[in-house]
Amino acid sequence: MSERSSGSIPRVVFAGFASCFGCQINITNIEKHLLDVLGQIDMRYWQLTSSDPMPAQFDVAVIEGAITTKDAEISAKRLREIADTVITIGACAQSAGIPGMASDDIDTRMKDVYSDHVPALISDSAYSPRAVGDVIEVDFAVPCCPVDPYEFVRVLQHVLYGSNIYPHTATLCGNCKQNGRGCFYGRGVMCMGLVTRTGCGARCTALGRECNGCAGLSPDANIDMARRIAVASGIDEADFNKALEMFNYNNEAIMELR
Amino acid sequence: MAKTDIKVDHLARIEGHGDIHLIIEDGNIVKCDFAVTEPARFFESMVRGRRFEDVPYVSSRVCGICSSSHTVTDIFAIESIFDVEVTDRTRALRELLVYGSFLQNHATHLFVFAAPDFLGHKSVFPLAEENRALFDSALGLKALGNELCTAVGGRSIHPITAVIGGFTHEISSDEYLALADKMDSMLDFALDSVDLFNDFGSVDIQTEGDMLAMVDPGRYPVLGSDTARFVRAGYDFSAQNIDSAIEEYAVDHSAAYLAREKTGASPYMATALSRINASWSELSEPARFAAAKAGLRPPEFNPFANNIAQAVELVDVLVRCSALCRRLAADDFEGTSKPVAFNVRAGRGVGFTEAPRGALFHEIELDDDGRVLSASILTPTSQNIANIEADMRLLAEKLILESYDQDAIQLEIEKLVRAYDPCLSCSVH
Repeated sequence: MSERSSGSIPRVVFAGFASCFGCQINITNIEKHLLDVLGQIDMRYWQLTSSDPMPAQFDVAVIEGAITTKDAEISAKRLREIADTVITIGACAQSAGIPGMASDDIDTRMKDVYSDHVPALISDSAYSPRAVGDVIEVDFAVPCCPVDPYEFVRVLQHVLYGSNIYPHTATLCGNCKQNGRGCFYGRGVMCMGLVTRTGCGARCTALGRECNGCAGLSPDANIDMARRIAVASGIDEADFNKALEMFNYNNEAIMELR
Repeated sequence: MAKTDIKVDHLARIEGHGDIHLIIEDGNIVKCDFAVTEPARFFESMVRGRRFEDVPYVSSRVCGICSSSHTVTDIFAIESIFDVEVTDRTRALRELLVYGSFLQNHATHLFVFAAPDFLGHKSVFPLAEENRALFDSALGLKALGNELCTAVGGRSIHPITAVIGGFTHEISSDEYLALADKMDSMLDFALDSVDLFNDFGSVDIQTEGDMLAMVDPGRYPVLGSDTARFVRAGYDFSAQNIDSAIEEYAVDHSAAYLAREKTGASPYMATALSRINASWSELSEPARFAAAKAGLRPPEFNPFANNIAQAVELVDVLVRCSALCRRLAADDFEGTSKPVAFNVRAGRGVGFTEAPRGALFHEIELDDDGRVLSASILTPTSQNIANIEADMRLLAEKLILESYDQDAIQLEIEKLVRAYDPCLSCSVH
């Protein structure tokens, strides 16, 4: 654990594992507020934006990306040893996200992509993608793909100053109805809002696009009932199960479907 | 024996993970690697068996910076299989979406990633103290790119509204006009940026590789053409026949596939500088004048000039986006952007666009139900890596002759790699 005297500004590092880097980029996308946010913390390491090296001591580690190699697992454990608080950002870190879809038969997938010339760099170290929380203990998670940068700021404020707001558990459906745009199922279009954790503001469905479930399964989700609704609306059951996998491949609630 | 060993693990201020390793013994270069250590996510494998609708959504996640380009390129590949004819309005919106990522990417690369090297900083943040006006304008330009992507795509990265056949949502005429005014108001800063990056100067090296870019007579195209040109070799090919012109190959020290021009087995650049070399005379007038003033005209084979080329493109993109937004506000394009109907069928298609960093190709094969049989992605950075390594060698040889010390060589090599604006998560995918 780090030795931080009470009242001093927390030292923060950012680390990126297997991901598109989009969550970190999206945090830089709140330009108007970026300096205000950075002004509340002592930014010690952010490889995306600075060539300052990773320090030996810090208080908060912000982690993007899924763990897909032994080296990444070692790095994540090292971050956990030093940091008082670990925050994950995005679906890749929270559930292995999109990379998680490649969890099965990793050796076959290497050959799919590189045929007979799998670079040693990959064949020596790659393993099935895992959520950061499967490798180390995580204190706070900012959901979605990509994260909403203001949600990151809210979680950061929670870490810095405390808060009695806890993560949503309900499904997106209830919030989506408040947008008054009607339901995709009435038009025969599959939407994962039935089973996905709310809190994103239903941005996609408000813009006419079905939910793909990037916030992950809601703990309150009734998957069997959702599937029956989908099938009754003309959706192929196999397609529904496949869609469930996109951001939840390694979630126990759906693993039995494979 | 004099030995210089430069090892940069996890090069900062680029997107993704990569290491530089350069060993010089008695004035001879014995190792010169740009090792892409980014973990593989196996996108081409994970989409197999999924329905076509998922593919642009998933492939967007290849890259957090050029997600618009991956989405649009995949949509093109799929629409070419289904033979979808979209409206002029949809075409204009797609162009606007891709231009939005040009603004985001070029402003981020130039000011957040590249400029600190020239200003003697570790990051862009000291600039907030040193030159607040420049800092605010630089981030303002990046913010305008985010705003454009949000207006057209629904959020600043990983677009929501762009689907096969059209868009699921559009902003109002007033919002288009407000965007056009903002584009106009940033033009002076973009023009100054061309001068700024030109004034930074660079070591003079001439890449020996070729230059690849999309071409279309009378346009400076970023999409809407199927023709790619190798500028130095002087030949064009159709993106649908990409396998006849470009060869991918693996090396042990890189997780990314590398690419080379097939007939000569030579490395090449797919960058803003390639586009400038291919279509300079089609730049909008303000951009062409700014380029000429900065001495950037074809043929220009100094890879460091890619920074200036991106600054010139910022000018060009602002001019074009302003015009597009005004035409969209005036309903000057035929049709609506509502997704058009199409029939699913089997086939193979290649999507081709100019992503901010360079030419991007997505090849997809679908079965009768529209499920993916195979997918292949060729990103600008995977095309550039072989040429980056060749240029690192050229640059190191020159700096050794000019008796640069180890730290100075390292800084120049880092500047060179950053000048290519590599995206390593893209390159491995």
